[in-house]
Amino acid sequence: MNYFINKTLYLLIVFVIAISGVFVLVNNMPGDPAYGLAVSIAQQRNMQIEQALEIAHKMMGIDPHESIFIRYGKFVSNLLKGNFGYSAFYNTSVNEIIAESLPWTLFVISLATFLSFTIGIFLGAFAAQKRATITEGIISTVSSIIQAIPPFILAVLILFVFSVRLKVLPLGGAYPVDIEPSFSLEFISKIFLHALGPMLAIAIPQMASWTLAMRGNTSQIMEEDFIRFAEARGLRDSVIAAKYVRNNAMLPLVASLAISVGYMLGGQTLVESIFNYPGIGFYFGKAIAVRDFGLLTGLFTLIVIGVILATFIADFVYALIDPRVKLK
Amino acid sequence: MKKENIANFYYDYIQPLLTNKKSLIGLMILLFYILMATIGPVVVPLDMNSNFAERYQKPSLKHPFGTDYFGVDIFQQIVHGSRSVISLTLLASFFAVLIGTVIGVARGYLEGIAGKIIDAIIMVFLVIPSFPALLILAAIFVNYNLNVVEIALLVSIWLWAPLAKQISAQVLSIKSKEFIEASKMLNMPLSYILFSDIAKLLIPYIFINFVMQIKGAMEFSVGLMFLGLAKFDPTHWGIMLNYALYQAGALYTAKGFHYLFFIILNIVLLIYGGILLSQGVEEVFNPRLRGNE
Repeated sequence: MNYFINKTLYLLIVFVIAISGVFVLVNNMPGDPAYGLAVSIAQQRNMQIEQALEIAHKMMGIDPHESIFIRYGKFVSNLLKGNFGYSAFYNTSVNEIIAESLPWTLFVISLATFLSFTIGIFLGAFAAQKRATITEGIISTVSSIIQAIPPFILAVLILFVFSVRLKVLPLGGAYPVDIEPSFSLEFISKIFLHALGPMLAIAIPQMASWTLAMRGNTSQIMEEDFIRFAEARGLRDSVIAAKYVRNNAMLPLVASLAISVGYMLGGQTLVESIFNYPGIGFYFGKAIAVRDFGLLTGLFTLIVIGVILATFIADFVYALIDPRVKLK
Repeated sequence: MKKENIANFYYDYIQPLLTNKKSLIGLMILLFYILMATIGPVVVPLDMNSNFAERYQKPSLKHPFGTDYFGVDIFQQIVHGSRSVISLTLLASFFAVLIGTVIGVARGYLEGIAGKIIDAIIMVFLVIPSFPALLILAAIFVNYNLNVVEIALLVSIWLWAPLAKQISAQVLSIKSKEFIEASKMLNMPLSYILFSDIAKLLIPYIFINFVMQIKGAMEFSVGLMFLGLAKFDPTHWGIMLNYALYQAGALYTAKGFHYLFFIILNIVLLIYGGILLSQGVEEVFNPRLRGNE
């Protein structure tokens, strides 16, 4: 039990330092979130940009002269109440934006993770069993080439081939604008179709890295003495492959599964922006572009919470499945 | 260095890399791009003037990679851009390995509260997702006209943490070995133990990690340039990709396909070279992984 209290305290301290650092970074960004609004006010009412900026600040509830310490105090006290802040650009609470966008991101990354992990584990184990054959060569080479494609370039390629050229995938959004959301079969299939592009852009590189990791682990395990011993005991090859090799090779990967899900929360900024898919990453990119500091800090805090939770779960899972790690 | 040392170094480190298929091909790809970056710009002249008569020309003898939206030769831009791509990538990898090694060795060696503090610092950089943080940092510096060293530092800040964690684990395991105890017993100074005893064992490991950083450094720097968040060399491949997609709209015209294709091909090939080399290096120094040979 002590182990968990220590671990929790430690991660809590890390969390406080991390979000404070993020807060300082975001608040040092140049630019003014009210600038866009000010320009349109200045044009409408024919006034100087300075005056218009003042009005825009009042309208958006921004005090440009507020010190960073007061802002930080407000941020922390809001956060303690479970309030992630206020988005000046969308004129709504960050919680609302999170409630709207987080499900889409979670939908895509859970689908992508499930597919990439199962296929990757299978292919990796298969390649290791077929050691030094052409099959292994092909699986390894293709995986390495896929790994060399940055995910956002893969996203551009998928968009180009399937949306622009072949026109089988939509160009953006989470569902078509002309259909009312409902539980109809048509709507649900449209949701999957819209998620397919970003899902593939995330899943394909993931699949390649799971494949290579699983292949590496499997070929290491196959050299272990206990495998020789199992063979000497006359166990069937299929039993050894499934129970002894695969399970042990998967062990470290299951733990890193949680961490990779955590990172995916924040890592999809470019992919979601390229597909115009309204998830966390899309709003994050938007917030950087329009300098919406409130939204940016709120979303970043959410992402850090996600990663820390994932780290915690990974430790826990590892302790649970590996009898050599004792919870002390 | 004595002649024997050089010969030993060759037999221990260089020769195995040249006999491993993966590291050999990886090295050749990287060398190709390093040559392109060093002597390429001298041999191939760059003409950035727009020439609307030659817009979106298909690859030909005159224009090996075709021409872009403004009629500028794509091959010339790739060659000249390779200089900033390569220098940025190698510098960022180098800084990341430097920071990661120093902090990792310190963490592995120090005990008590100081070790805990360094541990927390590494953890902070691990839980802050790199790419979003890099985007914000780049936005802060977007108007500063940073040079290649400064951008490489910005990128490396978000690359070193996983490495520091691994290095500290390595140091912890080396630390418990007998000869370190012996050095301590002989009252050797801390600097001797750190730099002579521990560093020697870490060098192959650090080299592997330097090669492994190439992928991350490439991805980050190209992504950064792609978003237009750093003003830099207009022929950097990331910036070319940005122009191709957002300025020229190459995605939506059939004529622009070769424009995108050649930029992406070069980016992917360079990263692939880095990946192959790091796989080869790992196979050479970790023989249990040796696969298809």
